[in-house]
Amino acid sequence: MEMNSGSDDAVLLERIRRGDTDGAAELFERYAPALLRFTDRMLSDRASAEEVTQEVFLKVISRAHQYDGRAGVASWLFAIAANACRDRRRRERRAAVVPLESVAEPRARGEGVEATIASRQRREAVREALADLSEEQREALVLARYHGMPYAEIAKTLGISVGAVKTRIFRAVETLKARFSEGETSWTAAT
Amino acid sequence: MDCRDLTALAIERLTGEADEASRRALSEHLARCESCRREAEGLEALWATLGRDADADVSPEFRRRTLGLLEDEMRRGRVRAFRPRPVFARPLLQAASLAAAGALGYFAAKGLPFAASPAAVAGRPSGAVTPMAGAVTPTAPGAATGAVPGFEGNPRLANVAYRPADKDGRISIAFDLTTRHEIDGKPSDPEVAKLLAYLVTHNAENAGEKSRAIELVSEHFSGAQTAASPEIVAALTKTLRTDANPGVRKKAADALAGFTMTPEIRSAFLDALKSDKNPAVRLAAVDALAAGAKQSPDASTIQSLREKAVDPEENNFVRAKAASALKAMSF
Repeated sequence: MEMNSGSDDAVLLERIRRGDTDGAAELFERYAPALLRFTDRMLSDRASAEEVTQEVFLKVISRAHQYDGRAGVASWLFAIAANACRDRRRRERRAAVVPLESVAEPRARGEGVEATIASRQRREAVREALADLSEEQREALVLARYHGMPYAEIAKTLGISVGAVKTRIFRAVETLKARFSEGETSWTAAT
Repeated sequence: MDCRDLTALAIERLTGEADEASRRALSEHLARCESCRREAEGLEALWATLGRDADADVSPEFRRRTLGLLEDEMRRGRVRAFRPRPVFARPLLQAASLAAAGALGYFAAKGLPFAASPAAVAGRPSGAVTPMAGAVTPTAPGAATGAVPGFEGNPRLANVAYRPADKDGRISIAFDLTTRHEIDGKPSDPEVAKLLAYLVTHNAENAGEKSRAIELVSEHFSGAQTAASPEIVAALTKTLRTDANPGVRKKAADALAGFTMTPEIRSAFLDALKSDKNPAVRLAAVDALAAGAKQSPDASTIQSLREKAVDPEENNFVRAKAASALKAMSF
């Protein structure tokens, strides 16, 4: 996981607390890529992910004084992001789902049309599979798989025990195994 | 290590959580177990497939917009705008509150109908409230101490919130039912168990709340020495059989898998294996039945697993799992 030393981050938060705009910009540069990747995978919608990531930074500014240093700043930020994603999904549960086709794809440099289509299909297969996991399982799996976060850190971030993290990841993998072993969407086909 | 530990250990190896001893045990096992080797390769392929999902990049436009927003927010933070209140408003509001409180006290003392006498409260018919074994703390002022309203008529509990177990294993469940209540106790306390079972079976409108209730039950009773209460088992087996949401059914299956196998649980798993539409739920049923049959093999489980192992219509993974479960059993 791309984390900075805790003391650096704590200094940055202290600067934000004092109203230093450059401190906020620095925190954004440091954590926006990771937080955007997390929210994008949690929400499966780029536009919502950007909005939620913005919300996270705005909340950090307004709550910087509440940070008590018990967990690392990175954990704190991911905890805010996970809560914001849950709130967003709760609000949008009954709203129409944005089709994946409408999500802007990252530009594939130098790739031909076929490669682009194959890459898109792989992405869709993985996204659909992740979206079908329960929210709790997806949070734990995304933090472990895409952010390389240790179980103990995930536990702090999600406010659960390490045992619960293991269970959630185990169950997520079991669900994905069953899904990818079905018919055309086998995981080997998706690779 | 045992073949059953394969998935858990392989995941720990993939996430970098496995220690040296576990990694060595896994490698030694894989060197001599062909089916586990294939399973581990499958897991590695799955892990690699997940990694092919492209990361979202921070676009220049998003950076520009967000940095602009943050700058505005920081500026606002320095000169926080408040709705100014006239200087004289505060003492006036305080005086008005005092007057209102005094008037209410006066009428109450006069014995107007809304002021119930202590005798009337003591004489309230039993059954109107249900005492709870755990410490019950109604947080609304004036609510009955040590009791929560009964659930006659299956009322919906709103705004359910959970606090995970503390070091003594006590959990806390808060909900709104006329007033806010907070129930604190061990999930094994009969009344707390009843409340959990109620949340699983009757508060079904929201899959998220239901899932959290199941998870709480699962985390507490899974592998525990204390058996889950009949109410919880009944609630979970009913959920496994009838819930419309496959995620919730899977969660119920996972929770039941952690309990000691009983005829009731086995029967629910056999039904799920036979007719659940979701392969992940059927897979969980295979695992649980196989684990149960290892301790005490029973004919109906073995027959069901045999049928699944050769069923051409069945999902490949479920079929393979059923076959491997049968193979691992010693008759």
